[in-house]
This record gives sequence, structure tokens and C-alpha cells, in this order.
Amino acid sequence: MMTEVAFPFPFPQHLELILPEIILAVMGMVTLLMSVFVSKSRQNIVAWTAILSAIAAAVTLLSISGSEHQYTFYGYFLLDPLATYAKLLMIVATVFGMLLSLNYVKDLANVGEYYTLMLFALLGMLLMASANNFVVMYLGLELMALSVYVLVGYQRDVLRSTEASLKYFILGALSSCMLLYGLTFLYGTTGSFFFAEMGNIISGTGENERLAVLTGMLFVLAGLAFKVSVAPFHMWTPDAYEGAPTPITAFMSVAPKVAGLIVFMRIVEEVFQSLQSEYTPILIFFAVLSMAVGNLAAIVQRNIKRMLAYSTIGHVGFILLGMIAGTMQGYTSIMIYMTIYLFMTMGVFAIIIMMRRDNIQGELLDDFAGLSKVRPGYALAMGLLMFSMAGIPFLGGFWAKYAVFMAAVEQGHIVLATLGVLFSAIGAFYYIRIVKYMYFDEERVSFNFAKSVPLQVTVVFSTLVVVAIGLYPDPVMQICKLALAGFV
Amino acid sequence: MVPLSSFLVVGAALFSIGVVGLFLNRKNVITILMCIELMLLAVNINFAAFSHFLGDIGGQIFVFFVLTVAASEVAVGLAILVAYYRQRRSIAIEDINTLQG
Repeated sequence: MMTEVAFPFPFPQHLELILPEIILAVMGMVTLLMSVFVSKSRQNIVAWTAILSAIAAAVTLLSISGSEHQYTFYGYFLLDPLATYAKLLMIVATVFGMLLSLNYVKDLANVGEYYTLMLFALLGMLLMASANNFVVMYLGLELMALSVYVLVGYQRDVLRSTEASLKYFILGALSSCMLLYGLTFLYGTTGSFFFAEMGNIISGTGENERLAVLTGMLFVLAGLAFKVSVAPFHMWTPDAYEGAPTPITAFMSVAPKVAGLIVFMRIVEEVFQSLQSEYTPILIFFAVLSMAVGNLAAIVQRNIKRMLAYSTIGHVGFILLGMIAGTMQGYTSIMIYMTIYLFMTMGVFAIIIMMRRDNIQGELLDDFAGLSKVRPGYALAMGLLMFSMAGIPFLGGFWAKYAVFMAAVEQGHIVLATLGVLFSAIGAFYYIRIVKYMYFDEERVSFNFAKSVPLQVTVVFSTLVVVAIGLYPDPVMQICKLALAGFV
Repeated sequence: MVPLSSFLVVGAALFSIGVVGLFLNRKNVITILMCIELMLLAVNINFAAFSHFLGDIGGQIFVFFVLTVAASEVAVGLAILVAYYRQRRSIAIEDINTLQG
């Protein structure tokens, strides 16, 4: 792992492993310059450059990835199948986020910088996925977080956007502080920042260091829980989701969650490997509370972005069941869940973005009334995606929930799995309510759909993927199994 | 020779002041930024102290990263605050209430 480095430092070996990140960093700066030099009416060129560079990063990533663990930068940067797969998910989420933005943000000032910030957020997330130590993980986390704070507040002339950004910033900074404060104690007991090394030393510590280790663990888990919006640290989520520009809401409900969960998995599995009996109750508390808060609070929401924020909290609660199982099967189920969740979310948000009427964003649940009569195609897509989120067989979302519940049952957490099914049934109510609005209510205001090819492509593509996974889930499950090979 | 525990007590005190200030403060968002800085300083004291007593340089290097990130965090935070003030004409905490539910 970490090799002794003498001064002057030898040039790091295998730098090609970090090529996707280098591409993103360079292209982030290039798009920043482009946005200054390209005239205001042609800012879409900047957007397409950003999209192409994200795709280029994905292609490069696929060409360098292998089935073994590869290290570079003196062991500080790890590329294993799990990191590769997580990075692909994040890149896909970011590309979708950019496609959704094309039409939405084109009237804002400084559109070019918007895509630059998305590229930098993606860069931070890729670093998080590749982190096998707290230094890289923290820097990646902050790069992602600082970019997303600004993106949330990008509509500077809209009060709720800036307010969402401010709230997200304050709570995000607080969570980083908690993570770091916990890390100081883990560092103090182990003298290392590397996950695996810290885990080995922690498993050998005696009673004296126990208090320091447990304090550190509590703070680190709380800090991470903030980042993946787990109850009781979820307060920022509804506000940030509602205030943010809708494409950013779509982006941040998937990509940072994947990054946060990967880091969560690595830390729980490697650093706290010997503390399983201590952290499992905490995770169970997180999971049950998230499922309860997410699914119950979503029922009373009138704004669909706010409702989906609570729905995210609930989904993360389900995902934590896989983490609690703590087995290969459990971690695989997390990746399956994230994959399917990615496509469901992108499809739903693409439809929400299209629901414009005379410059007013159709964000209230009532706005969906009578959609099936005007736009039967979109109503069908929205209906399928909502059924999928509710976990109705045989759509993608069903297999996602099935995977995490099975993983929990295999490890004897039958009560937890039962609670999960129960909350999932409660959650089905507010998803299916939208279907009721669309099919059984009268149209109240005339629809004025935004015409945009990228949006239509996103809707059709993600709905097809969700249906296809629902009918034939094997490929996704096999890919996720491959991604987890060698992790546990 | 000052023992390690003294440094940790100072760190814990600073961190607690930061957390308490963040939650009890009902006046001004600038104070919140100060509390966040205070918490990061507590983290730095802990890192430096542990690093010294462990004889491991890693902790002190991490302090530099934390300082850098803290600087950029404040820059972003103040920028967001300015954007917010332009819309709301106030940075009092009880006025941050547009988004609720």
C-alpha cells in the first residue's frame, strides 16, 4: 500500500489510472475559459463540450479499468472494480443532469460556469470513489460539496434558490466539521489515514483507546449520514431540493448519494471492520428513522420536488438495510439499488422539467391533474416510473427493494426487512397518488410542455431502462456482483 | 511539558463552543460562519497535537489541507450570503424562512 517515499520524490507510477480525473479537471478549466470567449447566444457549445468531456472521461475509465486493485500516487489513489462502477454511475448521472439543464438554464447569466461547476463536482465525486484514505476522501468530498452549494444557489435572482443554497451550505459545513472531528480521534489512535491500515490497528486496540475510537466512529458516521441525507441528519434535504434548479435537484439526488454511499461502504467495511457490533445498532437506528421520516413526511407534501426529497430519504433508508447486512450480497444490493434509482430519478425529473406553463414551473402535485388526456405518452412514462419507485413488480424498483430486503433477511434481520416492506407500502400511497391525479382528475390549467429533444430522450430512455430491468434484471445483478468482486 | 489531554480539552472546548453557537445563535448568519471556523480550528488543534505526540507528520500535513478547504469554504459561504442578502435584504436568521414544510 503506502510506500516509503524519499526526497526528492520519484515520479508517481501508473498515472494513467487518474486520467479520467485529469480530463475532467482540464476540461473544467477549458469550459470556464470558453464561457468567457463564446458569445452569450451560443453558450450551448460550452454545455456540449462539458457533456462530451464527461463521456470522454467514462470511455477513458473503461479502457484503464481492470478486475484487480490498482494503485497510483504512492498508494493514495485506488482503482478497483467497485470504484470503476461507481464512477460510471456518477458520470451517467452527471451527463443526464447536463442534458436536463440544456433547456432549463439557458436564460440564466453565466451559463458556462454552471457546466464548469458540474464538471468539478463530478471530479470531486470520482476522487471520493477512488479514495482509500481520508485525505483524498476529504478533498474529494469538499470539492463536490463546494461545487454543489453554488449550483443549488445558481438562480441568484430567485430568493428560494439562494436560501436553499445558504441552508445547504451551513449544514454541509457543519457535517464536514463533525466528520473531521471524528477523524482526529481515529487518527490519534491509529496514526494513519489509510482505511485498511486504520482498521487493522483499531481491531488490535485495547480498552484504553476504546472511548477515543467510539467517539471518532460516532462523529464520522454522523458526518457521513449528513452527506447521504439519512435521518436524523436530513433537515437540509427538502429545502435544498426544493430551492435548487430542477436539473440540479435531479443531479444531486443521485450522484453525490452514490459517492457518499461508496465512501460509507468503504469506511464501514475497512475502518470499522472490528466494530460491527457497535455500529450495527447505529445503522439500524438510521435506517428505520430514514424509512419512517422519508415515507411518512412525503405524504403531506404538495410540492413534487419536496416530496421527492423525502422519497430520497426513504430510499437511502432502504439502501442502509444492505449496509446493515454487511455481506457481499448486501453491498451488491446497494449498487443494484443505486443503478435502478439513477434511471428512475432522471426520468421523473425530466418530466417535471417539461411541465412548464408560461414560465411557471409545474412543481405542485395538482399540476399533474389530467396529464393523461393531454399527453398520454408522458403520463404513461410518469406512471411507470412512479410504480417503479413504489416497488411494484415487475418494474426496476421492485428488484432494487427485493435485493436489499433479501440481503437483510439472509443475515437474520427479519424485523428490519418487515419494517422496510411496511414503509414501502406506505410510500406506495404517495407515488400512486400522482397516477391518480394524472388519470382520474380533470385538467385545471392548460399544459405548455417545453419542447426539448434531450429531455424527451431522457424520459424515453430511462423509462425503457426501468421497464427492461424490471422484466430482465439479471444483467444488472451480474454487473453489480462483478463490481463488488474482491471488496469484502 | 503540556500533556496531550490538555490539547484535547482545548479542542473539545472550541468545538463545543462552535456547535453551541451554531444552534443557539438566533441573530446573524455571519456568526454561524465564525462558529464553523471555530470548529475547524478545534479539528486543527487536535490534529496538530496528535501528530506531535504520535511522532507522525501526517496530521500536520492534513492541517494544511483543512486550512485550505476552510478558506475556500468561507469564500463560497460569504458569496452565497451576499447573493442571499441581495434578495432578502436581511441576514437575520429568523428571516430565513421561505422554504418550509
